[in-house]
Amino acid sequence: MLPNEPQDPTTELVTPQAFTPREVKSSPSTERSAFLKRRYLDAPLVVDLEYISLLTESHRRTDGMEVLERRAEDHAFALERLTPVIHAGDRIVANKTRFIRGAVPYLNYAAGPFLREIRKQEQDAQQKNIDQGQGGGIARAREEAGEKGYQVLSGKFLISDQDMECFKGLCEYWEDKCMMEVGDRLWKKEFPQARFIEDGWTINLYTAPHDPCPEGRLILDFETALSKGYRAIIEEISQKIAAFRPGGLKDGAKLHFWRGARRVLEGALRLAENYAAEAKRLAASEHDPARQKELLDIAETCRRVPALPPRTFREAVQSYWFTYILGHLEGAHLGFSPGRLDQILHPYFVRDEGVSWDEAVGWFEELFVKMTQVEYIASLSWQGLGHGNLYQNCILGGLDEHGSGADNETSLAILQAQINMQMTQPTLSVWYDDALSRPFLMKAAECVKTGVGYPAFFNLKTFVAHELAASGLGVETIRKHAAMGGCTEPVLGGMSYGVVQAGFVNHGKLMDLVMNDGADPVTGVRLFSPRPLETYEDVERSYLEKMRPAVRHWQQYWNYVMAAHRQTVPLVFCSAFVKDCIGRGRCMDDGGAVHNGTPTTLSSGLVNVANSLAVIKRLVFEEKACTLQELKAALDANWEGHEALRHKALSVPKWGNDDEFVDAIFLRLFEEYCGWVKGQENYLGKPYDPSMLAISTPVPFGKACAASAEGRRAGEPLADGVTSPYPGTDTQGPTAVVRSSLKVDHTKIRGGLLNLKFHPSSLRGDRGSSNLLALIKTYFDGPGFHVQFNVVDSAMLKDAQAHPEHYRDLVVRVAGFSAYWVEMSKALQDQVIWRTEHGL
Amino acid sequence: MAEGMIFDIQHYAVHDGPGIRTLVFFKGCPLRCLWCCNPESQNFGPELRRSAARCRACYACKDHCTSGAIREGQTGPLMDREACRVCKTWPCVEACPQGALAVMGRAMTAEDVAARVAADAAFYENSGGGVTFSGGEPFAQPEFLEDLLLRCKRLGIRSAVETCGHVPAQTLLELEPLIGLFLFDVKAVAPNLHERCTGASNELILQNLRALAERDASKIIVRVPLVPGYTDTEENLSAIASLTAALGIAQAELMPYHELGRDKYEGLGRPYPMAPQGPHPLSARIEAALRIFRERGVACEIGGE
Ligand code: SF4
Ligand code: SF4
Repeated sequence: MLPNEPQDPTTELVTPQAFTPREVKSSPSTERSAFLKRRYLDAPLVVDLEYISLLTESHRRTDGMEVLERRAEDHAFALERLTPVIHAGDRIVANKTRFIRGAVPYLNYAAGPFLREIRKQEQDAQQKNIDQGQGGGIARAREEAGEKGYQVLSGKFLISDQDMECFKGLCEYWEDKCMMEVGDRLWKKEFPQARFIEDGWTINLYTAPHDPCPEGRLILDFETALSKGYRAIIEEISQKIAAFRPGGLKDGAKLHFWRGARRVLEGALRLAENYAAEAKRLAASEHDPARQKELLDIAETCRRVPALPPRTFREAVQSYWFTYILGHLEGAHLGFSPGRLDQILHPYFVRDEGVSWDEAVGWFEELFVKMTQVEYIASLSWQGLGHGNLYQNCILGGLDEHGSGADNETSLAILQAQINMQMTQPTLSVWYDDALSRPFLMKAAECVKTGVGYPAFFNLKTFVAHELAASGLGVETIRKHAAMGGCTEPVLGGMSYGVVQAGFVNHGKLMDLVMNDGADPVTGVRLFSPRPLETYEDVERSYLEKMRPAVRHWQQYWNYVMAAHRQTVPLVFCSAFVKDCIGRGRCMDDGGAVHNGTPTTLSSGLVNVANSLAVIKRLVFEEKACTLQELKAALDANWEGHEALRHKALSVPKWGNDDEFVDAIFLRLFEEYCGWVKGQENYLGKPYDPSMLAISTPVPFGKACAASAEGRRAGEPLADGVTSPYPGTDTQGPTAVVRSSLKVDHTKIRGGLLNLKFHPSSLRGDRGSSNLLALIKTYFDGPGFHVQFNVVDSAMLKDAQAHPEHYRDLVVRVAGFSAYWVEMSKALQDQVIWRTEHGL
Repeated sequence: MAEGMIFDIQHYAVHDGPGIRTLVFFKGCPLRCLWCCNPESQNFGPELRRSAARCRACYACKDHCTSGAIREGQTGPLMDREACRVCKTWPCVEACPQGALAVMGRAMTAEDVAARVAADAAFYENSGGGVTFSGGEPFAQPEFLEDLLLRCKRLGIRSAVETCGHVPAQTLLELEPLIGLFLFDVKAVAPNLHERCTGASNELILQNLRALAERDASKIIVRVPLVPGYTDTEENLSAIASLTAALGIAQAELMPYHELGRDKYEGLGRPYPMAPQGPHPLSARIEAALRIFRERGVACEIGGE
């Protein structure tokens, strides 16, 4: 358990065994799905070097080629040579690695952190604040590594001794060529604020360098990939090349992009052919006639797609999956997302008389196991921030371009598949609008009640308003393409650049600096010179004067890194599937995408700042219950011996209770942050977009922060997400949380999040579902932007902590994603319990 | 303007009437049910509550008590509850560095309570919910209740009242037109059983139930606490179910007994009146109880929680 405060221990205790189970319990709909899930749960995490070895082999030979063509050639070279692996029971083929749970190390993005691990050095200053999970596939990896000939890489991946030698060699090859190194050589030398950024890392003002996994929050144009087929797209590109006569100097670059795109699509076709051949080979020696038939079907499917448009639902699923996974393979992605699967695949479901709704559910069950099988390896810091989740977000419902509710039978099948499977990925979301059908919304509520934490609900109206103001695109386009790229960041599917950002700013740490004359109380590092704090306004101003440069330097630093991105790892395959890169003859980094307003500036912990400022305002300047020095002394002592003052601090109103006093402070900070973020241009020449999602940052950020005026002790987590109250301080129930949250103008940000927790008993039955939907509707009428739910009894979670062996497949919501309980760190488990305890 | 004694207001209440509701707890009740899980609702005045889990036995409270009402006990401070009952300033609460002390119950104006209720109007609108006045016994503060009911009516907010029924018939019937739903507690039909459980006769209660049902039985949900060894006998449940059916009341809810209120008694310095029980009544017994009602044509669910 986390420290006792500020939760209320008078809450009646329930005996450990007695807890309210989650309402909906379901299971895989077919034996195959059950087998696939079981196999996944039993598999260890493994590093697979095949892709990076092939990429490197090519890279050694392509020196001197134009960068886009080289990038395309290297990816295509690898695609053509990857071992086609078809696991027992699989009907959908191809994955990023040869293993059930394999990860590709993207040394072309960042080799440094791995080299530092090998050399037993610290990867970054954030590493010590990050815990990884211990159980599940991680335990399996560690267990098997105990055997001769194996070891553990990056805390949780199995690697053979032989591969480890190879890995070292690959790291050394990329050490001075990877994006991170090229970027570092640039900004560390030329950026005047380089020192500030590095100091910022030292004091945990920022998350660790994002270079190991910067891509993502991207959705490809699956509709075009499926409906045209790769052959037609290749043909289109060839015609463009044939018809093209270069004009100005920049014009010539188009040829390089087109040639690269064509090359990489051809490589993808070869990979599909390899799978067809492998399926045929396996079929020849297969004794079980049923399986033999399946393998022959796979062979036929892979001969057809993705080269040509699918004729059946199964071909559509496979074609979709090829584009999805090969795009995923190209870059070090977090948040690369499936898009609106219920819109993309529904036409094929409708047209295919041969596939029933139940069978479609089975296909989705299998597809979701495949998505969950994708693992990532990065720096320990970034592994810890995602807890193994790649934020693949599948959003359902929404509107069609004409404004009618777009939910359909495929949407229901997808929900049913995750109710049955409860895989951590893809995380499901709902684009909410009043036009959605009742059966769909009730099914979504049913899924929430499994306790997996999804679907999260997003208000389409709010996003449309945001994009209308920011993008200049028409309402039909926005409605049609609105999708979720990553945990809570909306993009326009198939036409947005995605969201490639620097990582997070820690507002809690900024408050530490305010309270300590501009120096970090934990490390002693000074970032700002002291300024006198005579009045409350001085204090608030001091915070703003630190927030502004901290944000601006962070944005500018990232623009340098992205310059290196263009020179080292531009995405060519992915660009080929983002409108209108092919038309414009430009990759995404050169402005090929129709929509370039997505890059965000992320931060977390603003609620803690508002709560702390409220305490300072009330106790120091209004009630004069203590001086600022006395308060500071209490914080320095981590509240030890200052219990009475701490009690007073805890009694000052906190955000999330619809209290004017503190809410007004939060609103001012929120407006300042949003306004400021937009003042800076991103690397695509558009304003940066403010965002305040959180992923797991509240835990490591909080760990690095001293005690704070709101009553928080040193090291305790921060609040999660833009408007979620600090755990334990929302004493007025969820409607008050919603009322506070609605004071914020949610159209101002791209991606923010509100966590609500419910005890299972409060959502029981259809009546409970209806009430939940009424709550969502009320919040979105507001209009709020996002809300997600944890529906578990904290007593059950405590039992799960004590007896992990009974809970191998328990999935809970963290922040914008769901994770397997047993693979979460103890600290994160504690945070979820803590949050959950304040349920109803 | 009427003022009343309230001990809690809970938002997003979903177990006491339809939709999303706000529960307003009145302080003070004419009955003393043995199993009451809200002992802080029984007395009419404010009461001091100490959380044993928070208390670190530092006795800062003792130094600040102006009445000398605190002495050092085995596990923490012992309060002279009679002194606390008449204490109007509660300096001990402020003084406690652990936040272990709290005053249960405070006087609120109808205007303030109505404003708190009105804050969630949009939720009621979307869910078919409203406000539920509970307690304690709302009818035991009749002017205050009337003021609140009128205010809610003006705001277009539907009102429900949970009552133990042991209230003057005139008050009940006078306010009836302002109330959309009654959650009417019936503990026992046999007078001696009722008296043993609650300390009072049920004559007035049953008379009130009849009178209300005559006015409009569709507004009533009968609530029956299912307390092992007291109310959960076949005989008692059958009697309640038959009465419910005879009065034309279509709905009933069973409230299984739980011991979650035990710590509260300690916090208020009172003994827990019930003997320790096993786990909740077995689901088979709950099923049997539900059947007793359903057999008589009364729709019956598990209520509360
Ligand atoms: S002041 Fe608080 S913590 Fe100390 S003895 Fe009194 S009730 Fe307990
Ligand atoms: S309530 Fe009043 S009398 Fe009772 S302990 Fe506190 S200060 Fe003393």
